[in-house]
Amino acid sequence: MSDATKPADRRAATPLAALMPDAAKIHRLSAVLTLLLLVAGFSLASQAFFSVNNGLTILLQTSVIGLLGIGMTMVIITGGIDLSVGSVLALSGVGTAMAIKAGLPVAPAMALGVLIGAGCGAVNGLVVTRMKIPPFVATLGMMLMARGLALQLTGAAPISQLGEAFGRLGNGALFRMVEMQSNGFPKVIFPGIPYPAILLLLVAMGAAYMLRRRRIGRHIYATGSNEEAARLSGVRVDQTKLYAYVMSGALAGLAGNVLMSRLVTAQPSEGVMYELDAIAAAVIGGASLSGGVGTVSGTMIGAFIIGILRNGLNMAGVSAFIQQIVIGAVVIGAVWIDQMRNRR
Amino acid sequence: MSQPPLVEMIGIEKHFGGVRAVDHVSLDLFPGEVVGVLGHNGAGKSCLMRILAGAMIPNAGEIRVNGSPVSFADPNDAREAGIETIYQTLALADHLDAPSNLFLGRELKTRLGNLDDARMLAESRKVLARLNPNFKNLQDPVSSLSGGQRQVIAIARAIYFDTRVLIMDEPTAALGPSETAMVANLIRQLQSEGIGILLVSHDMHDVFDLCDRVVVMNKGRLVGAHRIDEVTKDDVLSLIVKGELPADWTARNLEAAQ
Ligand SMILES: Nc1ncnc2c1ncn2[C@@H]1O[C@H](COP(=O)(O)OP(=O)(O)OP(=O)(O)O)[C@@H](O)[C@H]1O
Ligand SMILES: [Mg+2]
Repeated sequence: MSDATKPADRRAATPLAALMPDAAKIHRLSAVLTLLLLVAGFSLASQAFFSVNNGLTILLQTSVIGLLGIGMTMVIITGGIDLSVGSVLALSGVGTAMAIKAGLPVAPAMALGVLIGAGCGAVNGLVVTRMKIPPFVATLGMMLMARGLALQLTGAAPISQLGEAFGRLGNGALFRMVEMQSNGFPKVIFPGIPYPAILLLLVAMGAAYMLRRRRIGRHIYATGSNEEAARLSGVRVDQTKLYAYVMSGALAGLAGNVLMSRLVTAQPSEGVMYELDAIAAAVIGGASLSGGVGTVSGTMIGAFIIGILRNGLNMAGVSAFIQQIVIGAVVIGAVWIDQMRNRR
Repeated sequence: MSQPPLVEMIGIEKHFGGVRAVDHVSLDLFPGEVVGVLGHNGAGKSCLMRILAGAMIPNAGEIRVNGSPVSFADPNDAREAGIETIYQTLALADHLDAPSNLFLGRELKTRLGNLDDARMLAESRKVLARLNPNFKNLQDPVSSLSGGQRQVIAIARAIYFDTRVLIMDEPTAALGPSETAMVANLIRQLQSEGIGILLVSHDMHDVFDLCDRVVVMNKGRLVGAHRIDEVTKDDVLSLIVKGELPADWTARNLEAAQ
């Protein structure tokens, strides 16, 4: 975790260690390399892949995985796992939509959606810390409950006609420049930076700051590294874990709002298996499922690898079935790398 | 002594199912005193120490600090009462570096509330140098350090803060001879500052060298509490192994006076 702080100082202290790049650095480097290879490969395979418009599409798609991945990273660093994020995403989106239908303005309705997510996360955290249920089981239960609730509340039907304002978060862009042409049709000069991408950047910076520079971040790492040692050192281990699960739930709620806003429809069946993408993003980015290791920047790289993989396979005309096979193999490969790292 | 003891443990009990790990043990510790806690493996020494450190909740018994009863729900409570502990397991977070471990739970912060890593590093450097001048790789994760270096971090963490009672559970188990001597000096120095020390050790030589008193545990029970000048190494060994003094025992210092 101190890998980015003062590399020069460290080099001076251990001249030999500087020559041998450590495992975390190799992992990060290989992830970036994979990313570049994917971009290069897909660009050759399809002309349309390497274009501004497709770049923005990838940015949009990745923002949802990225938001989920950041929350997942916090939970994974504490040594836990959150399988409920895909379902919580749906429940939050449905909650927001129902609030809008009930007459609430968009902004407070979205805040409510995020709160619903945080509430689900809090239940996860309490079940894990108070009832001492393993995170895998606790969040698996929440995965079923949140999905069931979303489907029950909506009768499994999508909620549409939510108004233009609801679609702004998912479809709007900053610095979008449109010029009216003489023939009366608008011409897009610059498509702008999509709001979801800006949101992702802000959340990523906030989370990285929290993990690196704040006390709670240090405690998250300590808890995952050695829970008993952290407890004996005076870290409030249960509160720390609760915090991580609440953050994961809240970010799933935010991701739900982004996704549903983009579709301008609340889909109770949206986000199935998204938890796997989020876990894959975190693990590809160097987070260790045994806890104590992980970074936001790594997870961002991981999220882009997953996002580009999905988008590129689509553009190359690979069927959805084959895509599943590829992503599945990538997930296993990433966890395998994690295992190899721990064995040494 | 007229002043109250720093800590008193009265009738402490701890059982795990049928196992009586600590069986009605009482103990006290005065300022500037080093008390050796001895016993065979599994005698219950670490359990007793963890109870005083707030890391384990006793089934029965009372703890008093400066004469007033306290109840420790977690290690923070004991730390606030000035009780610091070097655990037998060291209790270090492997992925964090030395400064992060030293200040874990008590991080130094800047005015904005951010972690002050620079100051924690500088402070760690100071306190670690006091114990091991060769300690240079402070910013490596502690998992990559040697057993002795890890032990030094655990010791440094216990003496850095405002300590009044120090629990040392086999603090020199992983240390080389020069580091062990350094810890012995440290113990004498802390003692002269008026700190009370509970020293768990299997090393009879260290115990006789450093301690004012010894208490001996056997199968969870307290079988002996003596001033160090009352007993010989053989007496203590007999207490540890058999749970009783040799049949013909008389206090050594009285013997000499006769
Ligand atoms: N968490 C626990 N759960 C169950 N039994 C325990 C636990 N901790 C300790 N014990 C038991 O309590 C007894 C005392 O253990 P303790 O660690 O206090 O021994 P010790 O005197 O410190 O031994 P050593 O010299 O080997 O460190 C042992 O029989 C041990 O098995
Ligand atoms: Mg012990």
